[in-house]
Amino acid sequence: MKKLIHLIVVLLFVAALISACGGKPQEPAQPAEPQKPAEPAQQEKPAEAAKPQFAVYALNSEPLTSWDPAIEFSNGIHLHNNMYEQLVRYEPLEKKVKPLLAESYTVSEDGLTWTFKIRQGVKFQNGDPLTAEDVKYSIDRTMQIGAGASYIWSAVENITVKDPQTVEFKLSYQTPLDLVASTGYAAFIYSKKCVNENNEWIEEAKGCGTGPYMLKSAKWGDEVIVEKFADYWGGWADKHFSTVVFKKVAEPATRRQMIETGEATVAVELPYTDVDILKNNPNVAVSVDPSFQNLIGMFNTKKPPLDNVKVRQALAYAFPYQEVIDTVIGGYGRQSYGMVPYGLWGWSDKLPQYKTNIDKAKELLAEAGMADGGFKLLLTYTAGNEAEKSAAELYKAELAKLNIELEIRGMPWDSQWELAKSTDLAARQDIFVMYWWPDLPSPYSFLFSTFHSEEEPLFNLAYYSNPEFDSLIDQANQLTATDFAKAESMFVEAQKILLEDAASLFIYDRQDIWVTVGNLRGFKFNPAYPTVVFFHDLYLE
Amino acid sequence: MKKFILRRLLLGIIVLLGVALLTFFLARVVPSDPAAKWAGPRATPEQIARATIELGLDKPLYVQFGKYLLDLLQGNLGYSLRTRRPITLELQESLPATIELVLISTIAAVFVGIPLGVISAKRKDQLIDHLSRLFSIGVVSLPTFWIGLILQLVFFRVLGLFPMGGQLSTEIKITMDIPKVTGFIMFDSLVTGNFRIFLDALWHIVLPGITIGMYPVGLVARMTRSALLEILNEDYITAARSYGLSERIVLWSYALKNSIGPTSTVVALSIGYTLVNTFLTESIFTWPGIGNYIASAVIGLDYPAIMGVTIFSAFSYVVLNLIADIIIALDPRVRV
Repeated sequence: MKKLIHLIVVLLFVAALISACGGKPQEPAQPAEPQKPAEPAQQEKPAEAAKPQFAVYALNSEPLTSWDPAIEFSNGIHLHNNMYEQLVRYEPLEKKVKPLLAESYTVSEDGLTWTFKIRQGVKFQNGDPLTAEDVKYSIDRTMQIGAGASYIWSAVENITVKDPQTVEFKLSYQTPLDLVASTGYAAFIYSKKCVNENNEWIEEAKGCGTGPYMLKSAKWGDEVIVEKFADYWGGWADKHFSTVVFKKVAEPATRRQMIETGEATVAVELPYTDVDILKNNPNVAVSVDPSFQNLIGMFNTKKPPLDNVKVRQALAYAFPYQEVIDTVIGGYGRQSYGMVPYGLWGWSDKLPQYKTNIDKAKELLAEAGMADGGFKLLLTYTAGNEAEKSAAELYKAELAKLNIELEIRGMPWDSQWELAKSTDLAARQDIFVMYWWPDLPSPYSFLFSTFHSEEEPLFNLAYYSNPEFDSLIDQANQLTATDFAKAESMFVEAQKILLEDAASLFIYDRQDIWVTVGNLRGFKFNPAYPTVVFFHDLYLE
Repeated sequence: MKKFILRRLLLGIIVLLGVALLTFFLARVVPSDPAAKWAGPRATPEQIARATIELGLDKPLYVQFGKYLLDLLQGNLGYSLRTRRPITLELQESLPATIELVLISTIAAVFVGIPLGVISAKRKDQLIDHLSRLFSIGVVSLPTFWIGLILQLVFFRVLGLFPMGGQLSTEIKITMDIPKVTGFIMFDSLVTGNFRIFLDALWHIVLPGITIGMYPVGLVARMTRSALLEILNEDYITAARSYGLSERIVLWSYALKNSIGPTSTVVALSIGYTLVNTFLTESIFTWPGIGNYIASAVIGLDYPAIMGVTIFSAFSYVVLNLIADIIIALDPRVRV
C-alpha cells in the first residue's frame, strides 16, 4: 500500500515536473491546429479547398547527398525524379519505354544512331522552353563531370542538335540507348541557360528542371520541401498535392507511428513484424511489389576449394533458401531464378533452381573428392545489414552438417570491397554476399558488372571468367534495340551457364513494401526507380 | 587566478591535440577506403583514383595530419564523404537545434534540480526526500531512449497533447516563412515577432526537452542534496543557527553558496553527457540536430564527419569544464 502511494505521488511529481519544464507550451496545444492535417484528411473528405494539400514521405535516411542531378547516385533519386525528368520512362510491367520529355524516338538499322523528338510546350521551372539544345547540354555535362552513374552513357560518341525539337545521339557501339535515357540516375534534362546564368543553381536547385515540383526549402540531412511548379506540362488538378515534404525519420518506430496517425503519407523500410500488424489497420494501406533488388552470394571461383565446380554446386544445394526467405525477410521475397530479378525482362522460371538438398550436396562433395568436408570458408557481408547477417548465420548451420566451417565477417562496404579486390589472392573471401540493383532496367546491368570477365576485379567478385558467357551477354545487349525477343532469350541462356557453373548463390529477389495512408490513390510502384514515389500521380480520396 | 586559468587553458589545448591525434589515426587505422566512398556506390577505378588525389590520400600520413591540424586551426573540419559538403557548415546548420535542447535541459537542471536537492536535504529522511531520491535515481538510471519512446507513446499517441517529433509543424513550415536570423528557431521567431512559430517551436521542444532534461535534473538534485547535507553538519552552520539566523537564510544563503562548487561541475559535466544523449533522443524525435547528424554519419561510415563531431564534442567539453573550474575557483580555497 505504501508503495502504491509512493508510486502515485511520484507520478504526480513527474507531472508537476513536466509542467515546470513546459509551463506555457500547453497553450498552443489547445487550438490544436498542428494536429489538423492528420485527422480530418483521414476521416472526412477535405471540404475546404483552401487547406494546403501536402504529402509527407518518411525516409529512413537523409533525403539526398547531392543537389546536382548529374552527380547524385544515392538517396536523392526520390527527390530528383520529382524535380527533373528524363527523355523517356521505363514501365517494367509492360516492358516498354514510354515517352516523357521526348515525344518519340527512332533508332537506325545499325543501332548506332538514335534520334529523339523533343516534346513541344514543355517549360523549365524558370519559364524557359525546353529545346534540343538543353538535352544535348545536359547529357554532355553529365558525361563530362563523369561522376555518379554517368558511365551509363559510355556508348555515346557525340550528340548533335538537328533542329530545336530534334536531337541525335551517335554511338560508338550498339546499346539500348532508350533504356539508358530512362534511368533514374544521371539521365535528367536541365536548362542550359539556367545552369550557365546561375552558378548557385545546384545549391539552390531552383528552376532548372522540368519536373512537377520545385524546391521550396531544405535542411540538409533532415528534410526537403518541394512545391508545385504551376506551369508543369503534365498539368495540375485540385486533388494533386501542392507540397511534398521529404523527411528523414531515422527511427522505425517513429515512422510507423507517423503512418498510423496520418502524419506521413508514405513510409519506407519498416520492420516486417510491423508491416504484418499494419496490414490489419484500416487507415493504412500496405502494398507488396517486386523490387529489382536481389541478394546474391558470389563464390570465389579462382580459389580452392571453390574453384571446383562440384564443390560450388554442393554449396548451392546446401543453402536454406526457403528458410531464409521465411525468417529473414518475413516471406517478402521469392527465391531467385538466376541473376535477373523477378519483374525485369530476362527473368525466366524456365531456368533451373537449386533447392535445399543436403544429401545431394554430400554426393557432389564426394564426387569432388571431399566427402568429409573439413575445410573452412570465409563469407563477407556488409556490416549493419541484418538480412545479410541472418542469412549467413542460417547458411553456417547448414554447412556445419557438411562439416564445412563458415567464418562470417561483417565489414563496412568499402572494406568488404577492398578485401575482395586485394592483390593478395589468398586473403580474398570465399563468398561475397551483397545486394545488387540495376543502374538501368536491363538484364545487362545485372550480368555485365557482376559476371563479365574483368582484368582487375571491380564488381565481378566471383572472379568469374567465361568467354562463352561474355559473348552471349555482349551480343544480347547489342541486339536489345533491334531484336528484343532474341536478346531476352540470350540473356536467359547466359544465366543458364551461370547456374550450371554455380558461380554464385542466387538467394532471393526482394519485394518492396510500401506503407501508405489508407486513402491514398494513384500509387503505382515502378521498380526501375527504386524508392521513388512520383507524387504528381497521387491524391487523397 | 590568472595563473590558474592559464594552466587550465594549456591543459585544455593539450587534451584537444590528443583528441585530434587520436581521431585522425583511428580513422586511418580502420580498414576503409575513403576514396571509394567519396567516388560513389559503383565507382570505376578511374573515379576512385581521381578521388584519392582530390582527398590528398596519396600524400604521406604526416603530411595529411599536418594539413588536418592546420585546417582545424582555421575551423575547417574537412568534407563529408557522403554529401561532399564542408563539415563545419553542416555542424553550423545542425548545432542550433541541439543547443536549444541542451539549453532547455540545463535550465531545467539548475532551476528544478537545485531546489529539489535543497528541499530534499532540508527534509532529510522524510517522504519528500525519499521521493526526490527515488526520482533522481530513477531518471539517472533509466535509458534515455526508453524515456523518449514512453513519453512519445503517452503524450502523443494516447493523450495527443504534444507532437511526435520535429522542430515545427509541417503545416507551419509550408504556409509560413521561417525567419532566419541566428538559426535558433525559438530565438529568431521571438525577435521577429512570429509568435505562432515561437509557440509551435515551444510546443515541439517539450517532449525531447524533458527526455534530455531528466538526467541532469536527477544528477543535480542528488549532488546538491549530498553537498548540502555535508555542509549542514559544518561548525559554521551550527554557529549561524546559534546566532538565531532563520533556517531559510542558513540553508539558501549560507549552505547553498558553499555547495555551488560541486554542483556547477556536475552541471558542466552533465551538459557533455546531454550532448551524448541527444544522439538517441534526436533520432526518436526526428530533431534535426547534431545527434541526428552524427547518427547518420556513423551509419554511413562518414569518417571525416565522425571526426568532426568528436573534435567538436571534445572542444565543448573542455570549454565547459574550464568555465566550471573558473566558477569553482571563485572560492579562494581551491586556487593553489
